[in-house]
Amino acid sequence: MPTYELTMLLRVMPKTDIVSTLKRTANTIFSTGGIIRKIDSLGFKKMPFKTSAHSLVHREANYFIIYFDAPPSRIFDLDEAFGRDVDVVRRRIYKQDSEPPEACTLADEIKPPPYRSEVQKMLEMAKKAKKPQFSYNTGLDYYPFQK
Amino acid sequence: MFFCKHQTHKMSSYVLTRSFVGAAKKILWRTLHRPIHEAAESHQISNEEIQADLPVQLEKNPYEKPRVKCILCKYNIEPDYKNVRLLSQFQSRYTGRIYGRHITGLCKSKQAKVEHEILKAQNAGFMAYYFKDVTYVKDPQLFDPDHPFRPHNY
Ligand SMILES: [Zn+2]
Repeated sequence: MPTYELTMLLRVMPKTDIVSTLKRTANTIFSTGGIIRKIDSLGFKKMPFKTSAHSLVHREANYFIIYFDAPPSRIFDLDEAFGRDVDVVRRRIYKQDSEPPEACTLADEIKPPPYRSEVQKMLEMAKKAKKPQFSYNTGLDYYPFQK
Repeated sequence: MFFCKHQTHKMSSYVLTRSFVGAAKKILWRTLHRPIHEAAESHQISNEEIQADLPVQLEKNPYEKPRVKCILCKYNIEPDYKNVRLLSQFQSRYTGRIYGRHITGLCKSKQAKVEHEILKAQNAGFMAYYFKDVTYVKDPQLFDPDHPFRPHNY
């Protein structure tokens, strides 16, 4: 099972309600056969933009991130279940970044254009697209076709 | 008889001068164009002596400049949608637009990653679309948008 990150913005409410909402969320994840690795609380913050959710306008929210493992086939159901929760203002499920970073290619990118691989590729394409032309080194002293 | 004697004398002197000039020429020729086997006999040249004045083949260009890296690769920083403060440095404080590669000076993969993570952060409600968070406005500038590294793409 891959690891996912669930970012949840919970509406303004007392701590006991927040706890119960988190428990509800955790139980939903467990019901799919998933596990929870970690729950991060980013605190109570002002949202960068106001959000309407469940016919209410929210300007502040409690930010949480839940790291969990779940079968990929059940992620859609999970997202749908969280969307039905009236205490959740906004939620997104992202796959955890596990790819190793690529090597820096800046040195190749700032080379002069003819030394860049993509420019060389374009030049080759232009060469291929060129139509065959009559070459004048035939030994004739006149152009054999109509001009 | 006398005549004959005189003639023989003259002839012998001629032969003598001719042979002498020939010998001198031969010596000069041999000294100038010594065959290799003779030279090798007289003086053994060691291997080091041969290679001392030969041009040396370098493995790489000694004047090659070190490979430059973009600022994120240099400090081994991976952009993440949770790190809004880092991502805010790549957006305009006036319009919230993400600066292009010609301004940020990032490599292609890192620029794509930054743009993707900013999109994720904005979508999750961590980051604003149209402005920079006021608390991050005074953060140090990584680049100058008015003086891009490269000319604009278009
Ligand atoms: Zn890089």
